[in-house]
Amino acid sequence: MTQEELITKIKDLKAVEPSNNWVLSTKNRILGTETRTELFPFFKPVYAGLFCLLFLIGLFEISQDALPGESLYYLKKITEKSQVFLSSEAEKPSLNLAQANKRLEELDKIARKNEVQKLAPAIDEFQATVSEAAKSLSKVKKVDEQIVAQARKLDENKERVEQTLATKIETDDYYNALAVIVKREISDLEAKDLTDQEKAGLEQAKQYLEQEDYSEALITILEISQR
Amino acid sequence: MANPKKEFTKVYDEYIAKIYRFVYLKVNSQAIAEDLASEAFLRTWEVFKKDTGKIDNIQAFLYKTANNLVIDHYRQKGRINIVPTSEVRLMDTGEDLHEKAAISSDIEFIKKHLSDIKNDYQNVIIMHYLDDLPIPEVARTLEKTEGATRTLLHRALKALKEKTEQV
Repeated sequence: MTQEELITKIKDLKAVEPSNNWVLSTKNRILGTETRTELFPFFKPVYAGLFCLLFLIGLFEISQDALPGESLYYLKKITEKSQVFLSSEAEKPSLNLAQANKRLEELDKIARKNEVQKLAPAIDEFQATVSEAAKSLSKVKKVDEQIVAQARKLDENKERVEQTLATKIETDDYYNALAVIVKREISDLEAKDLTDQEKAGLEQAKQYLEQEDYSEALITILEISQR
Repeated sequence: MANPKKEFTKVYDEYIAKIYRFVYLKVNSQAIAEDLASEAFLRTWEVFKKDTGKIDNIQAFLYKTANNLVIDHYRQKGRINIVPTSEVRLMDTGEDLHEKAAISSDIEFIKKHLSDIKNDYQNVIIMHYLDDLPIPEVARTLEKTEGATRTLLHRALKALKEKTEQV
């Protein structure tokens, strides 16, 4: 055997190697918890705060699909109340109306799934939210596009839900608040110099007011104001 | 200052297979090699965690600790353990069974004769040809001059060659 052949045979001994199980178990035995924390870095205390925060964000995210009568629904309400609390006075009416629309969408879902036991709490939730919207509308000095759009959407949603449930949902406070706004806006326009076309529009708005179709009246008023 | 556990984890990952093989080729037993190699790392870790700066050359420290443990083992037992071929683990190199059997036979042959030569000769051959340490590194690890290391390696190969030719 030449020296080169001998060296080649020596190098064959590189095939000798320890078992993976022994390598890992020995590492764990010598270095203790360090190996475990490397395998599961989120168990490190430094990640605990982040883990809790992500958990809460996830929980709030899931709660957005919750329906009245479900345990996570309170989290959804907390999120919405925080949004209203943090918004400006000018934003509050349209935000309240958007939330009233959400309540109607929840009612619609419940009605379609035929979850009878959730109907009463869902109607209560809608009436409470729309009552909040009425309060904030009573403080409105000038209607804007967002309020009008949400009011129109609320009419459509309410009509659909009432048809599904075959029952009327009481929302007098809300319509009274809208009527006050429409009347005020009409009298403001009457005091102005209007073109013939604008006068025709105003007459149309008055007719909507008589028919108690306040959202249509507001759309017409907004069109005149924006000309 | 770097985390000692993290630092030592890197050391462990880099040297565990080398130190295991270094010990295994001297004791010829998987169980004893596992026992002595883990003891070598445990002792090194005990020193390392107290003061990471205390060990100048971690590689040399590990080989020296492992070598001392092997010497102690033979002093205590006063015997050489011969193990069956099945205890030799082969990496899956993709060769067929015939090739594996041939390699296994070669491994047994060279392993047997390697364990018959002097401890210093075993060390220099394992470090240079199996652990791929260049001569200056082997010299540092064995605490010898490069010239002395080259001479030692030459003698080690000659001794191993003579052992294989005696068969």
